[in-house]
Amino acid sequence: MSSASESISQAPSKPLPSENPSLTTEQRRYLESALRVNQAGELAAVLIYGAQTPPIVRAHPHLRPLMKHMYDQEAGHFTKFNELISKHRIRPTAMYPVWTAAATVLGWGTAIMGREAAMACTEAVETEIGTHYNDQVRTLLDWQENLKQNGQSLGPELEELLTDIRRIRDEELEHLDHAVEHDAKEAQPYEVLTNVIRGGCRAAIWVSERV
Amino acid sequence: MFISRSLRAKATQLRSSPLQIRNRRRSYYTVDHPDPTPFSETESAILSSALSRVPTHGFSQKALKLGARDAGYLDVSTNLFPRGTFDLVNYHLVTRRMALKEEVQFPELDTQSGNKLGVGARVRILALARLRANKDIIGKWQDAIAIMAQPSYVSASLSELARLSDEIWYLAGDKAVDASWYTKRATLSAIYSAAELHQTQDQSPNFIETERFLDSRLEDLRKVSSLAGGFGGWVGYTAQSAVNVLRSKGVKI
Ligand SMILES: [Fe+2]
Ligand SMILES: [Fe+2]
Repeated sequence: MSSASESISQAPSKPLPSENPSLTTEQRRYLESALRVNQAGELAAVLIYGAQTPPIVRAHPHLRPLMKHMYDQEAGHFTKFNELISKHRIRPTAMYPVWTAAATVLGWGTAIMGREAAMACTEAVETEIGTHYNDQVRTLLDWQENLKQNGQSLGPELEELLTDIRRIRDEELEHLDHAVEHDAKEAQPYEVLTNVIRGGCRAAIWVSERV
Repeated sequence: MFISRSLRAKATQLRSSPLQIRNRRRSYYTVDHPDPTPFSETESAILSSALSRVPTHGFSQKALKLGARDAGYLDVSTNLFPRGTFDLVNYHLVTRRMALKEEVQFPELDTQSGNKLGVGARVRILALARLRANKDIIGKWQDAIAIMAQPSYVSASLSELARLSDEIWYLAGDKAVDASWYTKRATLSAIYSAAELHQTQDQSPNFIETERFLDSRLEDLRKVSSLAGGFGGWVGYTAQSAVNVLRSKGVKI
Protein backbone atom coordinates (compact mmCIF):
# COMPACT_ATOMS: atom_id res chain seq x y z
CA MET A 1 0.00 0.00 0.00
CA SER A 2 2.88 2.35 0.72
CA SER A 3 4.09 1.81 -2.84
CA ALA A 4 0.83 3.25 -4.10
CA SER A 5 1.22 6.39 -2.06
CA GLU A 6 4.87 6.65 -3.16
CA SER A 7 3.83 6.82 -6.78
CA ILE A 8 1.34 9.56 -5.98
CA SER A 9 4.23 11.70 -4.79
CA GLN A 10 5.78 11.67 -8.24
CA ALA A 11 2.64 12.79 -10.01
CA PRO A 12 1.74 16.50 -10.08
CA SER A 13 -1.32 17.35 -8.02
CA LYS A 14 -4.48 16.83 -10.03
CA PRO A 15 -6.66 19.92 -10.36
CA LEU A 16 -9.74 19.47 -8.20
CA PRO A 17 -12.88 21.55 -8.37
CA SER A 18 -12.84 21.86 -4.58
CA GLU A 19 -11.61 24.96 -2.79
CA ASN A 20 -8.70 23.03 -1.41
CA PRO A 21 -6.14 21.72 -3.86
CA SER A 22 -4.97 18.17 -3.18
CA LEU A 23 -1.55 17.86 -1.64
CA THR A 24 1.13 15.60 -3.05
CA THR A 25 2.89 13.21 -0.71
CA GLU A 26 5.98 15.32 -1.19
CA GLN A 27 4.14 18.45 -0.09
CA ARG A 28 2.72 16.67 2.95
CA ARG A 29 6.22 15.58 3.92
CA TYR A 30 7.49 19.11 3.50
CA LEU A 31 4.77 20.52 5.73
CA GLU A 32 5.33 17.77 8.27
CA SER A 33 9.02 18.43 8.66
CA ALA A 34 8.66 22.22 8.44
CA LEU A 35 6.10 22.33 11.23
CA ARG A 36 8.15 19.93 13.36
CA VAL A 37 11.20 22.18 13.07
CA ASN A 38 9.13 25.28 13.79
CA GLN A 39 7.73 23.76 16.97
CA ALA A 40 11.23 22.70 18.10
CA GLY A 41 12.59 26.18 17.32
CA GLU A 42 9.89 27.95 19.29
CA LEU A 43 10.32 25.54 22.20
CA ALA A 44 13.99 26.53 22.22
CA ALA A 45 13.15 30.24 21.95
CA VAL A 46 10.77 30.12 24.93
CA LEU A 47 13.40 28.31 26.99
CA ILE A 48 16.26 30.58 25.95
CA TYR A 49 14.38 33.77 26.87
CA GLY A 50 13.01 32.11 29.99
CA ALA A 51 16.51 31.16 31.15
CA GLN A 52 18.04 34.52 30.19
CA THR A 53 15.46 36.71 31.86
CA PRO A 54 16.30 36.37 35.60
CA PRO A 55 20.07 37.07 35.36
CA ILE A 56 19.59 39.84 32.78
CA VAL A 57 16.79 41.58 34.61
CA ARG A 58 18.71 41.37 37.90
CA ALA A 59 21.68 43.16 36.36
CA HIS A 60 19.71 45.51 34.12
CA PRO A 61 16.20 46.14 35.53
CA HIS A 62 15.33 48.51 32.67
CA LEU A 63 15.41 45.52 30.27
CA ARG A 64 12.51 43.83 32.01
CA PRO A 65 9.75 45.09 29.65
CA LEU A 66 11.79 44.18 26.56
CA MET A 67 12.59 40.67 27.82
CA LYS A 68 8.95 40.15 28.74
CA HIS A 69 7.74 41.42 25.39
CA MET A 70 10.03 39.04 23.49
CA TYR A 71 9.23 36.14 25.80
CA ASP A 72 5.49 36.67 25.36
CA GLN A 73 5.80 36.70 21.60
CA GLU A 74 7.82 33.46 21.67
CA ALA A 75 5.22 31.87 23.93
CA GLY A 76 2.58 32.85 21.36
CA HIS A 77 4.61 31.29 18.54
CA PHE A 78 5.11 28.10 20.54
CA THR A 79 1.38 27.82 21.26
CA LYS A 80 0.59 28.34 17.59
CA PHE A 81 2.88 25.55 16.42
CA ASN A 82 1.77 23.22 19.21
CA GLU A 83 -1.79 23.62 17.95
CA LEU A 84 -0.77 22.97 14.37
CA ILE A 85 1.32 19.90 15.27
CA SER A 86 -1.62 18.44 17.16
CA LYS A 87 -4.21 19.36 14.53
CA HIS A 88 -2.22 17.83 11.68
CA ARG A 89 -1.16 14.82 13.74
CA ILE A 90 2.54 15.44 13.24
CA ARG A 91 4.96 13.70 15.54
CA PRO A 92 7.05 16.15 17.62
CA THR A 93 10.83 15.88 17.31
CA ALA A 94 12.35 12.88 19.06
CA MET A 95 15.08 15.28 20.25
CA TYR A 96 12.60 17.21 22.39
CA PRO A 97 14.39 16.50 25.70
CA VAL A 98 17.76 17.28 24.11
CA TRP A 99 16.61 20.63 22.73
CA THR A 100 15.05 21.41 26.10
CA ALA A 101 18.39 20.94 27.81
CA ALA A 102 20.46 22.65 25.11
CA ALA A 103 18.26 25.75 24.90
CA THR A 104 18.20 26.20 28.65
CA VAL A 105 21.97 25.91 28.92
CA LEU A 106 22.43 28.30 26.01
CA GLY A 107 20.05 30.89 27.46
CA TRP A 108 21.43 30.71 30.95
CA GLY A 109 25.06 30.51 29.80
CA THR A 110 24.89 33.59 27.60
CA ALA A 111 22.94 35.53 30.22
CA ILE A 112 25.59 35.06 32.89
CA MET A 113 28.20 36.17 30.35
CA GLY A 114 26.36 39.50 30.36
CA ARG A 115 23.83 41.59 28.52
CA GLU A 116 25.89 41.83 25.31
CA ALA A 117 26.40 38.07 25.07
CA ALA A 118 22.70 37.44 25.69
CA MET A 119 21.83 39.89 22.93
CA ALA A 120 24.41 38.30 20.63
CA CYS A 121 22.75 34.97 21.29
CA THR A 122 19.38 36.47 20.33
CA GLU A 123 20.90 38.02 17.23
CA ALA A 124 22.46 34.73 16.11
CA VAL A 125 19.37 32.64 16.81
CA GLU A 126 16.95 35.08 15.20
CA THR A 127 19.13 35.41 12.09
CA GLU A 128 18.95 31.66 11.51
CA ILE A 129 15.28 31.41 12.42
CA GLY A 130 14.37 34.39 10.23
CA THR A 131 16.10 32.79 7.23
CA HIS A 132 14.39 29.50 7.98
CA TYR A 133 10.90 31.06 8.06
CA ASN A 134 11.72 33.02 4.92
CA ASP A 135 12.44 29.77 3.09
CA GLN A 136 9.06 28.42 4.14
CA VAL A 137 7.27 31.58 3.02
CA ARG A 138 9.03 31.31 -0.33
CA THR A 139 8.01 27.64 -0.74
CA LEU A 140 4.36 28.37 0.06
CA LEU A 141 4.39 31.31 -2.35
CA ASP A 142 5.81 29.01 -5.05
CA TRP A 143 2.97 26.55 -4.49
CA GLN A 144 0.49 29.39 -4.62
CA GLU A 145 1.97 30.64 -7.90
CA ASN A 146 1.75 27.17 -9.50
CA LEU A 147 -1.82 26.69 -8.34
CA LYS A 148 -2.80 30.12 -9.64
CA GLN A 149 -1.71 29.09 -13.12
CA ASN A 150 -4.29 26.27 -12.92
CA GLY A 151 -6.93 28.65 -11.65
CA GLN A 152 -6.63 27.35 -8.08
CA SER A 153 -5.71 28.76 -4.71
CA LEU A 154 -3.79 27.44 -1.71
CA GLY A 155 -7.04 26.95 0.15
CA PRO A 156 -7.96 28.51 3.51
CA GLU A 157 -5.81 26.22 5.64
CA LEU A 158 -2.52 26.90 3.88
CA GLU A 159 -3.33 30.57 3.32
CA GLU A 160 -3.73 30.90 7.07
CA LEU A 161 -0.43 29.09 7.60
CA LEU A 162 1.29 31.48 5.18
CA THR A 163 -0.10 34.49 7.07
CA ASP A 164 0.98 33.03 10.41
CA ILE A 165 4.50 32.22 9.28
CA ARG A 166 4.91 35.70 7.77
CA ARG A 167 3.75 37.36 10.98
CA ILE A 168 6.00 35.18 13.12
CA ARG A 169 8.96 35.83 10.82
CA ASP A 170 8.42 39.59 11.15
CA GLU A 171 8.35 39.27 14.92
CA GLU A 172 11.61 37.28 14.88
CA LEU A 173 13.23 39.99 12.78
CA GLU A 174 11.95 42.56 15.27
CA HIS A 175 13.77 40.58 18.02
CA LEU A 176 16.88 40.67 15.88
CA ASP A 177 16.65 44.48 15.68
CA HIS A 178 16.18 44.76 19.45
CA ALA A 179 19.26 42.62 20.00
CA VAL A 180 21.42 44.79 17.74
CA GLU A 181 20.06 47.98 19.36
CA HIS A 182 21.10 46.55 22.71
CA ASP A 183 24.73 46.13 21.76
CA ALA A 184 24.80 42.51 20.59
CA LYS A 185 27.84 43.47 18.49
CA GLU A 186 29.75 44.51 21.62
CA ALA A 187 29.81 40.95 22.92
CA GLN A 188 33.24 39.43 23.45
CA PRO A 189 34.25 37.31 21.57
CA TYR A 190 31.47 38.26 19.16
CA GLU A 191 32.57 36.25 16.13
CA VAL A 192 33.18 33.02 17.99
CA LEU A 193 29.98 33.30 19.99
CA THR A 194 27.65 34.05 17.09
CA ASN A 195 29.29 31.53 14.77
CA VAL A 196 29.03 28.75 17.31
CA ILE A 197 25.39 29.55 18.04
CA ARG A 198 24.43 29.91 14.38
CA GLY A 199 26.15 26.63 13.55
CA GLY A 200 24.30 25.00 16.42
CA CYS A 201 20.96 26.35 15.14
CA ARG A 202 21.59 25.05 11.65
CA ALA A 203 22.54 21.63 13.02
CA ALA A 204 19.45 21.56 15.23
CA ILE A 205 17.21 22.45 12.28
CA TRP A 206 18.83 19.74 10.17
CA VAL A 207 18.30 17.14 12.88
CA SER A 208 14.72 18.18 13.68
CA GLU A 209 13.73 18.00 10.02
CA ARG A 210 14.71 14.33 10.16
CA VAL A 211 14.03 13.06 13.64
CA MET B 1 -3.87 -18.97 32.04
CA PHE B 2 -1.38 -20.77 29.81
CA ILE B 3 0.33 -19.08 26.91
CA SER B 4 3.00 -21.10 25.16
CA ARG B 5 6.57 -19.91 25.51
CA SER B 6 7.13 -19.69 21.77
CA LEU B 7 4.03 -17.59 21.29
CA ARG B 8 5.17 -15.32 24.09
CA ALA B 9 8.56 -15.01 22.40
CA LYS B 10 6.89 -14.16 19.11
CA ALA B 11 4.65 -11.60 20.75
CA THR B 12 7.66 -10.05 22.45
CA GLN B 13 9.28 -9.53 19.08
CA LEU B 14 6.23 -7.48 18.24
CA ARG B 15 6.80 -4.91 20.99
CA SER B 16 7.29 -1.54 19.46
CA SER B 17 10.40 0.54 19.79
CA PRO B 18 10.58 4.33 19.57
CA LEU B 19 12.10 3.85 16.12
CA GLN B 20 8.99 2.08 14.89
CA ILE B 21 6.81 4.80 16.34
CA ARG B 22 8.91 7.33 14.46
CA ASN B 23 8.64 5.43 11.19
CA ARG B 24 4.92 5.18 11.09
CA ARG B 25 3.94 6.81 7.82
CA ARG B 26 1.58 9.63 8.37
CA SER B 27 2.57 13.07 7.38
CA TYR B 28 0.49 16.21 7.68
CA TYR B 29 -2.99 14.89 8.29
CA THR B 30 -5.71 17.29 7.28
CA VAL B 31 -9.48 16.94 7.20
CA ASP B 32 -9.52 18.93 3.96
CA HIS B 33 -7.50 16.26 2.17
CA PRO B 34 -8.31 12.89 3.70
CA ASP B 35 -5.59 10.25 3.63
CA PRO B 36 -5.87 8.06 0.54
CA THR B 37 -7.88 4.87 1.19
CA PRO B 38 -5.49 2.00 1.90
CA PHE B 39 -7.24 -0.67 -0.19
CA SER B 40 -8.62 -0.69 -3.72
CA GLU B 41 -12.18 -1.84 -4.30
CA THR B 42 -11.07 -5.26 -5.55
CA GLU B 43 -8.68 -5.73 -2.65
CA SER B 44 -11.40 -4.81 -0.16
CA ALA B 45 -13.93 -7.14 -1.77
CA ILE B 46 -11.59 -10.15 -1.72
CA LEU B 47 -10.02 -9.50 1.68
CA SER B 48 -13.29 -8.85 3.47
CA SER B 49 -14.78 -12.07 2.08
CA ALA B 50 -11.59 -13.92 3.01
CA LEU B 51 -11.80 -12.54 6.53
CA SER B 52 -15.24 -14.08 7.01
CA ARG B 53 -13.63 -17.43 6.13
CA VAL B 54 -10.99 -17.00 8.84
CA PRO B 55 -13.02 -18.37 11.79
CA THR B 56 -13.11 -21.73 9.97
CA HIS B 57 -9.95 -21.74 7.86
CA GLY B 58 -7.62 -19.46 9.82
CA PHE B 59 -5.38 -16.80 8.33
CA SER B 60 -4.48 -19.15 5.48
CA GLN B 61 -4.07 -19.27 1.70
CA LYS B 62 -7.22 -21.33 1.70
CA ALA B 63 -9.20 -18.49 3.28
CA LEU B 64 -7.76 -16.07 0.72
CA LYS B 65 -8.69 -18.34 -2.17
CA LEU B 66 -12.21 -18.91 -0.86
CA GLY B 67 -12.56 -15.20 -0.26
CA ALA B 68 -11.65 -14.46 -3.88
CA ARG B 69 -14.27 -16.99 -5.06
CA ASP B 70 -16.93 -15.61 -2.69
CA ALA B 71 -16.30 -12.14 -4.07
CA GLY B 72 -16.65 -13.46 -7.63
CA TYR B 73 -12.97 -13.49 -8.63
CA LEU B 74 -10.76 -16.25 -9.99
CA ASP B 75 -8.41 -18.07 -7.61
CA VAL B 76 -5.50 -16.50 -9.47
CA SER B 77 -6.52 -13.04 -8.26
CA THR B 78 -4.90 -13.89 -4.91
CA ASN B 79 -1.76 -12.80 -6.82
CA LEU B 80 -2.92 -9.32 -5.92
CA PHE B 81 -1.51 -10.07 -2.50
CA PRO B 82 2.23 -10.66 -2.74
CA ARG B 83 2.46 -10.83 1.06
CA GLY B 84 -0.13 -13.60 1.07
CA THR B 85 -1.62 -14.36 4.47
CA PHE B 86 0.08 -11.30 5.98
CA ASP B 87 -2.08 -9.13 3.71
CA LEU B 88 -5.10 -10.79 5.24
CA VAL B 89 -3.86 -10.13 8.79
CA ASN B 90 -3.00 -6.58 7.81
CA TYR B 91 -6.49 -6.04 6.37
CA HIS B 92 -8.00 -7.00 9.70
CA LEU B 93 -5.63 -4.66 11.56
CA VAL B 94 -6.14 -1.69 9.28
CA THR B 95 -9.91 -1.93 8.93
CA ARG B 96 -10.44 -2.50 12.67
CA ARG B 97 -8.26 0.51 13.42
CA MET B 98 -10.10 2.70 10.95
CA ALA B 99 -13.50 1.56 12.24
CA LEU B 100 -12.78 2.86 15.76
CA LYS B 101 -13.53 6.41 14.70
CA GLU B 102 -17.06 5.54 13.57
CA GLU B 103 -17.90 2.89 16.12
CA VAL B 104 -16.86 4.35 19.44
CA GLN B 105 -19.15 6.89 21.04
CA PHE B 106 -18.12 8.26 24.39
CA PRO B 107 -20.63 8.69 27.21
CA GLU B 108 -20.78 12.21 28.57
CA LEU B 109 -19.88 11.12 32.09
CA ASP B 110 -17.78 8.35 33.58
CA THR B 111 -20.18 5.56 34.58
CA GLN B 112 -18.18 4.75 37.73
CA SER B 113 -17.13 8.09 39.12
CA GLY B 114 -19.79 10.30 37.56
CA ASN B 115 -17.08 12.79 36.60
CA LYS B 116 -16.52 14.13 33.13
CA LEU B 117 -14.78 11.55 30.98
CA GLY B 118 -11.03 12.13 30.88
CA VAL B 119 -8.47 11.21 28.25
CA GLY B 120 -7.43 8.12 30.23
CA ALA B 121 -11.01 6.82 30.41
CA ARG B 122 -11.41 7.39 26.68
CA VAL B 123 -8.18 5.50 25.97
CA ARG B 124 -9.57 2.59 27.96
CA ILE B 125 -12.87 2.61 26.07
CA LEU B 126 -11.10 2.71 22.71
CA ALA B 127 -8.59 -0.04 23.55
CA LEU B 128 -11.40 -2.25 24.80
CA ALA B 129 -13.50 -1.61 21.70
CA ARG B 130 -10.53 -2.51 19.53
CA LEU B 131 -9.94 -5.74 21.48
CA ARG B 132 -13.63 -6.68 21.23
CA ALA B 133 -13.42 -6.21 17.47
CA ASN B 134 -11.22 -9.35 17.49
CA LYS B 135 -14.23 -11.38 18.58
CA ASP B 136 -14.77 -13.32 15.34
CA ILE B 137 -11.17 -14.21 14.67
CA ILE B 138 -9.66 -14.47 18.15
CA GLY B 139 -9.61 -18.27 17.90
CA LYS B 140 -7.14 -17.94 15.01
CA TRP B 141 -5.22 -14.94 16.30
CA GLN B 142 -2.26 -17.06 17.42
CA ASP B 143 -1.69 -17.94 13.73
CA ALA B 144 -1.75 -14.23 12.98
CA ILE B 145 0.85 -13.52 15.68
CA ALA B 146 3.09 -16.18 14.14
CA ILE B 147 2.69 -14.58 10.70
CA MET B 148 3.41 -11.08 12.00
CA ALA B 149 6.53 -12.35 13.77
CA GLN B 150 8.07 -13.53 10.49
CA PRO B 151 11.18 -11.42 9.89
CA SER B 152 9.89 -9.79 6.71
CA TYR B 153 6.68 -8.62 8.39
CA VAL B 154 7.85 -7.57 11.85
CA SER B 155 8.49 -4.01 10.83
CA ALA B 156 5.16 -3.56 9.01
CA SER B 157 3.34 -5.11 11.99
CA LEU B 158 5.02 -2.79 14.47
CA SER B 159 4.26 0.24 12.33
CA GLU B 160 0.63 -0.78 12.27
CA LEU B 161 0.67 -1.19 16.05
CA ALA B 162 2.13 2.31 16.35
CA ARG B 163 -0.63 3.62 14.08
CA LEU B 164 -3.23 2.02 16.32
CA SER B 165 -1.75 3.68 19.42
CA ASP B 166 -1.61 7.00 17.64
CA GLU B 167 -5.22 6.64 16.54
CA ILE B 168 -6.36 5.84 20.09
CA TRP B 169 -4.57 8.84 21.62
CA TYR B 170 -5.90 11.03 18.84
CA LEU B 171 -9.51 9.86 19.16
CA ALA B 172 -9.24 10.12 22.95
CA GLY B 173 -8.59 13.81 22.42
CA ASP B 174 -5.02 13.90 23.69
CA LYS B 175 -3.42 17.08 22.38
CA ALA B 176 -0.02 16.91 24.06
CA VAL B 177 2.82 17.38 21.61
CA ASP B 178 5.83 17.27 23.92
CA ALA B 179 8.22 14.42 24.73
CA SER B 180 5.34 12.52 26.38
CA TRP B 181 4.04 11.94 22.85
CA TYR B 182 6.56 9.08 22.50
CA THR B 183 6.19 7.51 25.92
CA LYS B 184 2.41 7.49 25.61
CA ARG B 185 2.47 5.70 22.29
CA ALA B 186 5.15 3.22 23.30
CA THR B 187 3.38 2.36 26.56
CA LEU B 188 -0.03 1.95 25.00
CA SER B 189 1.44 -0.27 22.26
CA ALA B 190 3.00 -2.51 24.89
CA ILE B 191 -0.17 -2.68 26.97
CA TYR B 192 -2.40 -3.29 23.99
CA SER B 193 -0.29 -6.11 22.58
CA ALA B 194 -0.04 -7.79 25.98
CA ALA B 195 -3.83 -7.58 26.35
CA GLU B 196 -4.30 -9.03 22.89
CA LEU B 197 -2.01 -11.92 23.70
CA HIS B 198 -3.99 -12.51 26.88
CA GLN B 199 -7.19 -12.40 24.84
CA THR B 200 -6.13 -15.37 22.71
CA GLN B 201 -6.60 -17.52 25.85
CA ASP B 202 -9.69 -15.78 27.17
CA GLN B 203 -12.81 -18.00 27.30
CA SER B 204 -14.85 -15.67 29.52
CA PRO B 205 -18.10 -14.13 28.26
CA ASN B 206 -17.60 -10.87 26.39
CA PHE B 207 -13.86 -11.00 27.24
CA ILE B 208 -14.36 -9.95 30.85
CA GLU B 209 -10.96 -11.47 31.73
CA THR B 210 -9.24 -9.41 29.06
CA GLU B 211 -11.02 -6.29 30.25
CA ARG B 212 -9.70 -6.94 33.78
CA PHE B 213 -6.22 -7.52 32.46
CA LEU B 214 -6.35 -4.27 30.49
CA ASP B 215 -7.62 -2.34 33.50
CA SER B 216 -4.88 -3.62 35.77
CA ARG B 217 -2.16 -2.72 33.23
CA LEU B 218 -3.64 0.76 32.78
CA GLU B 219 -3.80 1.12 36.54
CA ASP B 220 -0.09 0.18 36.86
CA LEU B 221 0.66 2.78 34.24
CA ARG B 222 -1.31 5.42 36.10
CA LYS B 223 0.59 4.69 39.32
CA VAL B 224 3.97 4.73 37.66
CA SER B 225 3.32 7.90 35.73
CA SER B 226 2.00 9.82 38.71
CA LEU B 227 5.18 8.81 40.54
CA ALA B 228 7.32 10.11 37.72
CA GLY B 229 5.32 13.32 37.55
CA GLY B 230 3.18 12.52 34.52
CA PHE B 231 3.96 10.68 31.36
CA GLY B 232 6.67 13.14 30.50
CA GLY B 233 8.38 12.67 33.85
CA TRP B 234 11.70 11.65 32.40
CA VAL B 235 11.99 14.98 30.66
CA GLY B 236 12.32 16.38 34.14
CA TYR B 237 15.90 15.20 34.37
CA THR B 238 17.07 17.83 31.97
CA ALA B 239 18.96 21.01 32.53
CA GLN B 240 15.73 22.95 32.49
CA SER B 241 14.55 21.42 35.71
CA ALA B 242 18.02 21.62 37.22
CA VAL B 243 18.04 25.37 36.65
CA ASN B 244 14.46 25.74 37.85
CA VAL B 245 15.01 23.63 40.94
CA LEU B 246 18.05 25.66 41.94
CA ARG B 247 16.12 28.88 41.34
CA SER B 248 13.23 27.66 43.43
CA LYS B 249 15.69 26.99 46.24
CA GLY B 250 16.69 30.62 46.06
CA VAL B 251 19.98 30.15 44.25
CA LYS B 252 20.52 33.31 42.22
CA ILE B 253 21.19 31.89 38.81
FE1 LIG C 1 9.59 32.73 17.77
FE1 LIG D 1 12.29 35.17 18.28
